[in-house]
Amino acid sequence: MSLHISAAPVLEPRTLAEALDLRASHPEAMPLAGGTDVMVYLEGGVIDPPRFLNLWGIAELGGLSRTGDALRIGALVTHTDVVRSPDAQALAPALVEACRTVGAVQIQNRGTIGGNVVNASPAGDTLPVLLALDAEFELHSAARGQRRVPAAQFWQGYRRMDLAPDELLVAVHVPAPSPGDRTFFRKVGTRQAQSISKVVLGARVRLDAATGTVTEARIAYGSVAATPVRCPATEAALIGRRRGDLAAAADTVATEIRPIDDVRSTAEYRLAVAVRVLRGWLAAV
Amino acid sequence: MRTPTPHALLSLTVNGDRHVVAAAPHHSLLEVLRYDLGLTGTKQGCDKGDCGACTVLIDGEPVLACCTLAATVRPGAQITTIEGLAGPAGRLDPVQEAFDRCGALQCGFCQPGMMLSARALLNRDAAPSDTAIREALGGNLCRCTGYTQIFEAVKLAAALARGESGASIDPTPPAEGYTVLGARHRKADGHGKATGAAVYTDDFNPPRMLHAKILRSPHAHARIVRIDTSRAAALPGVFAVLTGEALPRTYGVIPWTEDETALAIDRVRFVGEEVAAVAAVDEETANAALRLIDVEYEPLPPVLTPEAALAPGAPELFPGRRGGNLTKHVRLDFGDVDAALSNADALVEGEYFFEGTAHAPIEPHCAIAEYDARGLLTLHSATQIPHYVHRTLAKTLDLPSERVRVVQPALGGAFGGKSDPFGHEIVAAKLAMMTGRPVKILLTREETFYTHRGRHPMQMHMRLAANAEGRLTGLDSKILIDGGAYSSFGLVTSYYSGQLLTAPTGFETYRFDASRAFTNKPPCGPKRGHGSVQPRFAFEIQLDKMAEKLGLDPIELRRRNDVGPDTTTVNGQRITSNGFLECLRVVEQASGWRERRGKLGFGRGLGVAGSCYISGTAYPVYPNEMPQSGVQVRLDRSGRAHVMCGASDIGQGSDSMLAYIVAEELGLRPDDIRVTSSDTDLSPVDLGAYSSRVTFMAGNACREAASALSTLVREAVASKLEVPGREVACTPGRWFWLGDPTRGMDTREAFVLAEAAHGTLGATGGYRTDKTLGGPYRGGTIGASPAYSFTAHVAEVAVDVETGFVNVKKIWAAHDCGFALNPMIVEGQIAGSVYMGWAEAVMEEHAFAYGGPNPGLLRGPNLLDYRIPTTVEAPEIECHIVQSIDPNGPYGAKEAGEGPLHPVLPAIANAIYDAVGVRLDRLPFHPWRVREALRAAGRMGGR
Ligand SMILES: Cc1cc2nc3c(=O)[nH]c(=O)nc-3n(C[C@H](O)[C@H](O)[C@H](O)COP(=O)(O)OP(=O)(O)OC[C@H]3O[C@@H](n4cnc5c(N)ncnc54)[C@H](O)[C@@H]3O)c2cc1C
Ligand code: FES
Ligand code: FES
Repeated sequence: MSLHISAAPVLEPRTLAEALDLRASHPEAMPLAGGTDVMVYLEGGVIDPPRFLNLWGIAELGGLSRTGDALRIGALVTHTDVVRSPDAQALAPALVEACRTVGAVQIQNRGTIGGNVVNASPAGDTLPVLLALDAEFELHSAARGQRRVPAAQFWQGYRRMDLAPDELLVAVHVPAPSPGDRTFFRKVGTRQAQSISKVVLGARVRLDAATGTVTEARIAYGSVAATPVRCPATEAALIGRRRGDLAAAADTVATEIRPIDDVRSTAEYRLAVAVRVLRGWLAAV
Repeated sequence: MRTPTPHALLSLTVNGDRHVVAAAPHHSLLEVLRYDLGLTGTKQGCDKGDCGACTVLIDGEPVLACCTLAATVRPGAQITTIEGLAGPAGRLDPVQEAFDRCGALQCGFCQPGMMLSARALLNRDAAPSDTAIREALGGNLCRCTGYTQIFEAVKLAAALARGESGASIDPTPPAEGYTVLGARHRKADGHGKATGAAVYTDDFNPPRMLHAKILRSPHAHARIVRIDTSRAAALPGVFAVLTGEALPRTYGVIPWTEDETALAIDRVRFVGEEVAAVAAVDEETANAALRLIDVEYEPLPPVLTPEAALAPGAPELFPGRRGGNLTKHVRLDFGDVDAALSNADALVEGEYFFEGTAHAPIEPHCAIAEYDARGLLTLHSATQIPHYVHRTLAKTLDLPSERVRVVQPALGGAFGGKSDPFGHEIVAAKLAMMTGRPVKILLTREETFYTHRGRHPMQMHMRLAANAEGRLTGLDSKILIDGGAYSSFGLVTSYYSGQLLTAPTGFETYRFDASRAFTNKPPCGPKRGHGSVQPRFAFEIQLDKMAEKLGLDPIELRRRNDVGPDTTTVNGQRITSNGFLECLRVVEQASGWRERRGKLGFGRGLGVAGSCYISGTAYPVYPNEMPQSGVQVRLDRSGRAHVMCGASDIGQGSDSMLAYIVAEELGLRPDDIRVTSSDTDLSPVDLGAYSSRVTFMAGNACREAASALSTLVREAVASKLEVPGREVACTPGRWFWLGDPTRGMDTREAFVLAEAAHGTLGATGGYRTDKTLGGPYRGGTIGASPAYSFTAHVAEVAVDVETGFVNVKKIWAAHDCGFALNPMIVEGQIAGSVYMGWAEAVMEEHAFAYGGPNPGLLRGPNLLDYRIPTTVEAPEIECHIVQSIDPNGPYGAKEAGEGPLHPVLPAIANAIYDAVGVRLDRLPFHPWRVREALRAAGRMGGR
């Protein structure tokens, strides 16, 4: 086995308070949840942190529960936990679908929601769904206590986010759907399992019960830009449209995302698929 | 709160045993299991996270041990590895039992992880659906099986676990006239692979072992101006540093084209080429030392395509070499092709391109060298050609060959990717000689992509002529081959690209012209179906186009031009048995071809293709008069036999094949037989696992040895029973008189009688090829084989006209293997071949950077970006065995390991045409490429 790093001691807090203190006193220590991203970076020599802050095992960071009309998902909740949770299945089926497509079973058993959010890969599978569902991130620090950041404001640039060096992500809050909400997740990957997405779509429209017109829309893509992105023009184009007449709005996507060519796909193909997948869903809503 | 310590004391519960280990905090669970606890059943197949070979269970749930920091495993968590899967007293878990019984354990390297994932699934779902099985195993890549036998095994395991008494595999009886052969037997090495006990190269860790790492070129083409190793040599923990000058002798698998050195001298010719090596106490120190080696390069302009390489004034890879960048040019003419083309009633012309692909066995290359004070060198290596490695080590290290021993341990897949002698093997040996300590080199997954000699990219131009009756009158084929930086098997590849195309569908005249060029990319070599998969792709599409032009059914066109058995092809190859028409008939019927082709509606279609392949070559790689394969069999008075043979079991089951033959001949059960193979000290020479030669050649050699012993035992039994020898027969466990089968004895007693009568019982057998084979012209011996296998496939596809995604629904494969010594193994070879060809058609390619800052860089040298298919997308494969009983094969057997790959790619291309009316003459069929073709043809559905 080759690891291109020197020995990096592991800090082992047992409570959230300890973890936040260590986070403040050792900003160089890299938080470690399931470690599925961190281990890959280590092996590739991408990172060489002098220390780790091992979060795995801190009870306050775990737990998936329904609180009032929202789902609280602890940062350490694994993708498998989400997939198996009746609450998540009931309140956030699109998120369940997203977690089901992360890597394969072994990665889902170990990889966490928090890790996916903070790893901030443009191809992170849960991120477009979290955008579409208007999720909020609960961040804690020893010095300033807690704050909440909406997903739409969290990812700011390529792997850059609104997270201070002394903060930890503690939980993800997902509001419960309104009766008129329709949600959707779709990943078009390089293969059917163990795949990196060429395009990921998370989407939600809210339909007026009486008229069937769209009153709110969230269209978010992954793998088409440096961060997961929302498509405001497409969302606007959907507002006021009636069910049965939504599909045409998908074409607006072509005006607001600019995917790139890489070893996994071509820009032209990505765009075509992005539009098509959305159109297909909108036609079926 | 614990204070940080450089080595944490971890308490781990593994397979119920508590262990306390001091592990570096950044060590993965995989490292702790394999190195600290010696539980080597858990495998490493990639650099991180991509293959699933390292899967273990933590509290019953599968996780990747390589992606789990050991320090983050919660104390008290129950870890289960393959060594802990069996029950009390080693009783196999139903999953292990089923994998063994279904033939799912080919090379076995992926299987510890696979079986643990299957176990976790069954814990949650006692009767999983097909979809649930595919999803649960989606993170475990297997390169051998095509997954079909794995799916069967999981279902059987579920049934066994539910206690269903009828749960069993198809109890095919032995073939008529046999007592062992033709039945479904477990593999000889199945138990070891089911339990994790099988020892692969990287599982050896001799005491005092050093680890070596290789520094590789960052340039596609450069002159090495200077190498300064002094800083590396001074690093504490470094034992030796090696550069190319210390290993000046050139080598290569083909004696006429020895152009490689173990480490580059003066010049590097591809990104990833070996430049220097370090042996150190551990891999981390060796890697650190590599960073201290200063190499000054003078970059040279690279040539990255064969067209560029052969253009006038192109930079030369081997300045001063006769022929420049043209590594080989072959041109052969049979009859008057030009006349045939100009007189043709129908002419089809096409241009085809086959992108390079990788073997990607799940086990990376690994070698361990030991050198002792007597001057004996022993190399354990993940190779499929121990004999050629033996010769190469003697040559490059200036050692007498009797001082060199090469051992191939259990091998985790090869597919042609381990059939060259490699620089890292020579380097490990040299470092062991320099340091006097064992030296291990384990290549990373990335390094395997630079090393493995992938399939050659080929640009092919073909013109095919026919008359109005549908007889093919001529083929003109011109092929440009991208060879990469060295010759490797390229001389043979160049010939194979033409020589193996003349059956099963024949033509009256033929010209082929093949040129192989050096380029600044990793050298190419043989991959399953060496040299002939690419032109077969082009030719079988040509046939489809021709059938359309003539208004004939494509199957009918092939029937009309079938060369038949007992014939000689246009290029002079002798064909003996030939079951191609039967293969065609079988797939035509099984696929519902007549009722369904062309009638499935837009977007869905069927395509057919055929092929033939060699069962070994009549002429060995280096000219000699000795047998190509030798076998020694020894009988033991306790009622056992021991077979020794140099043949390489690479997962294809050659050890098992030897055991079945000995069992058949000597009244034994297959598991009464011990096999010692591929150890150059202990087993007679066999040239190795390539050219699909092993069953044919080692099988014949084994039969010769076993039947010599059988004669001795028969005589002894006959004289005891006082009956004529020809009336004595045996069946596993018993020898008896045919006249009254109750008169007889158990096999042990028969062996005792024979040993008493004849002395110690041992015999040898050898297989020599018929050296009269082949056409009477220069190169006519290349492609000459004692027997050819035949295959026909029908593929069914559904093409999504909007995304261009090609969904291969099903493949019907019929293969004429002569005679199936064990149909379970033959089916495994067919399914594995079909899967590999299908993957090359729709997913896989070696992608290089042709411009940009790093020209010649292989893009995505890992198992995430080089997409080998998972369980989830694997198509349904239906295997049919056709038996033509070859007159010269052992019991009539021919090859089954490579032939069945060939027709998959063109069958899919032809099915796409049937589905959506566009021709895809360029591989692979990426969705975006299919979409472009559809758009160009104005056949996009929707918008
Ligand atoms: C083989 C393989 C396949 C994969 N496939 C996919 C895929 O298909 N889709 C996909 O989206 N991802 C995929 N991933 C990536 C990864 O598994 C996911 O991103 C996963 O959710 C990360 O979770 P983790 O707990 O393992 O994160 P870690 O590796 O532990 O952490 C990731 C990053 O987040 C930081 N971090 C973690 N938790 C916190 C916290 N609470 N507060 C602050 N910072 C924190 C870490 O410091 C680190 O920078 C794959 C990874 C592998 C190895
Ligand atoms: S070795 Fe762990 S996934 Fe490949
Ligand atoms: S048996 Fe699966 S990789 Fe060989």
